[in-house]
Amino acid sequence: MGGNRTVRAALVIAVEVLFFILFCAFMLAHQLGKTIGFIILFIFLGVLFKKWEKLNQAIAGLFKEMKMLATMVFVLMVLTLPFVFHSSPYLIHICVMAGLYAILALGLNFQLGSTNVVNFATAASYGIGAYTSALLAVHFHLSFWVGILIGGGAASLFGLLLGIPCMKTKDYYLSLVTIAFGLIIYILLINFSWTGGPNGIPNIPAPSFMGHSFREPLNLFGFNLPFQSNFFYLIFLLVMGALFVAYRLHHSRVGLTWNAIREDEIAARCQGIDVTGYKILAFCIDAFFGGVTGTVYAHYIGFISPENFAFIVSVVVVTMVILGGMDNVFGVIIGAVLLTILPEKFRAFEDLRLLVYGVIVVTMLMFRPQGLFPQKLRVYEK
Amino acid sequence: MIQQLINALLLGCTYTLIAIGFNLFFGALNVVHFSHGDVCILGAFVTLILYGLAKFLGILMIVPKFLYIPVMIILAMVVTGFIGVFFERVVIKPFRYAPLLMVLVATVALGIVIREAVRLSFPHGSNPQVFPRILPQKSFQWGGVLLRVDSLIIFGITLFLISMMFLFIKRTKMGAAIRAISQDGEAAMMMGINMDVTVATTFLIGSALGAVAGILIGAYNNIIRFDMGLMGGVKGFSAAVVGGLGNVYGAIIGGLILGLVETFAAAFVPGGTPYTDVFAFLVVIFFLIFRPSGIMGEKVYEKV
Repeated sequence: MGGNRTVRAALVIAVEVLFFILFCAFMLAHQLGKTIGFIILFIFLGVLFKKWEKLNQAIAGLFKEMKMLATMVFVLMVLTLPFVFHSSPYLIHICVMAGLYAILALGLNFQLGSTNVVNFATAASYGIGAYTSALLAVHFHLSFWVGILIGGGAASLFGLLLGIPCMKTKDYYLSLVTIAFGLIIYILLINFSWTGGPNGIPNIPAPSFMGHSFREPLNLFGFNLPFQSNFFYLIFLLVMGALFVAYRLHHSRVGLTWNAIREDEIAARCQGIDVTGYKILAFCIDAFFGGVTGTVYAHYIGFISPENFAFIVSVVVVTMVILGGMDNVFGVIIGAVLLTILPEKFRAFEDLRLLVYGVIVVTMLMFRPQGLFPQKLRVYEK
Repeated sequence: MIQQLINALLLGCTYTLIAIGFNLFFGALNVVHFSHGDVCILGAFVTLILYGLAKFLGILMIVPKFLYIPVMIILAMVVTGFIGVFFERVVIKPFRYAPLLMVLVATVALGIVIREAVRLSFPHGSNPQVFPRILPQKSFQWGGVLLRVDSLIIFGITLFLISMMFLFIKRTKMGAAIRAISQDGEAAMMMGINMDVTVATTFLIGSALGAVAGILIGAYNNIIRFDMGLMGGVKGFSAAVVGGLGNVYGAIIGGLILGLVETFAAAFVPGGTPYTDVFAFLVVIFFLIFRPSGIMGEKVYEKV
């Protein structure tokens, strides 16, 4: 790719803005026909990108060179989303949910992707975080900002508890333990009276920041944005934080150790790796992410019930990780965003949602087990 | 007390029938078919369809009930058995040489597909469906214990099916082939055993037995719901693990233990009825920690 720096920078920005406009147009499209048209366009672009090696390499090279700029432009564009969607709070709501699922998927990725531990108890840690902070907020008027830490901490403790039986078990047995734990939490939430039973907890207060309640419209630069924007910016910060943690962990010794356990547990043990400890660490971090997400969800919606934390939620998050590409931090986020937005766009077929999830997982595993964006092999500078 | 034992036995029967499937599949292919519970409940729904069909065609009027119902159950077993084989071919076989994780997630997803397909294809599918009263509803007193005739029949059917299956595995050529591939698939293939046919047979038997479990659950409670398969599958798998995965005898012991735990938790723990499943799972987790290979299972040593 020739040209001087400015031209290349302009190219990067152009590609990103084009993609962003397409995305916004897709989100704003109301009719089913238009939606399907956009999806076909996206698939066409994806295939073109995949097949046309030269273009692929050129763009990849450009983005690699201008990493800083590309990230900054991307962040700026995401920050403008509430302004673009200001007339339709529903779209901002979808974005918030996508962010929540992205954090859940990032958390699960430490286990499913990095360590090859299939954990079907994501919904449980998600639920424990949500219930802990909701109960504290409703009964003791605890601030959201403290609750988010306590919720995450409680979920982490649960992760530790879950990790202990997993010291002894692996593969199917381990999955059975996580499924059993998830079901136990679900049954307890339904049956305890102090969690509100099947009716759940209503009227969870919204967080407030410097006197500004998150349930009130947000006024930014003279624009009146719907109240969902508050949560959009909050969740954006959290996703960025989660992304940073995930990225750093992946490129640290811990991430490398997890990968070693994934490749061959016995060989890893022979190298002197504390397999159990690192597995439990993955459990705890995953549960912490789940707990934080649950807290935000509880205070955002203002109402939680056991149904929000059923087994199926865990399966959906597992699907996101597999679809996006196991162990690839960015792929996982894309998987989460895709699997949140697409079902909402096809709300007319709401009933088919889970069926389609199941079919996607089975076909993905058969034809592209590495996911949409597979993790590349680690490369170290010589 | 005796009443509780009978209840435990009944519950154990259904768990055993489901667990046998898990053990057969694990023995044959070293896979856990997580959607097996859903296949079992599918058997109950197939019966529901057959019953409705018979009602619609007026067969119920002509043919006496004691003749029609066994035929219906056998038909449902066959249909479900072949559905099980179909799932093996489509979803499990492609992962024969893939990492364990793949087939695990794929079968969990398959379970969702089955559940949702059932829910969508029945009118008001999210609500419980009334299951026809195919077993006699009489009961009698015997030595101070109230016995329901249907529970006796359920017990009889289970006993009959399990002994038939053991005979099949011990005495027939196909049974020998199943035992051979569960010991060493590759060696069995070198001896001229047709792997595909043998695996298909195990899925046929396992799914057919599972269908009976589904039908019995439906007949005893007079109700079936599309999502019963999830719990049924996890319980059946738990029973298989407690007994020793891959060991068909273990399924019986595991099923009975789980049945006992649940019944006794409901009967003797004050306020324990809503928490029976919690007790069952705690027992399973306990077993997994202290005896991961189950009661009858052989200890596995890992090699690099």
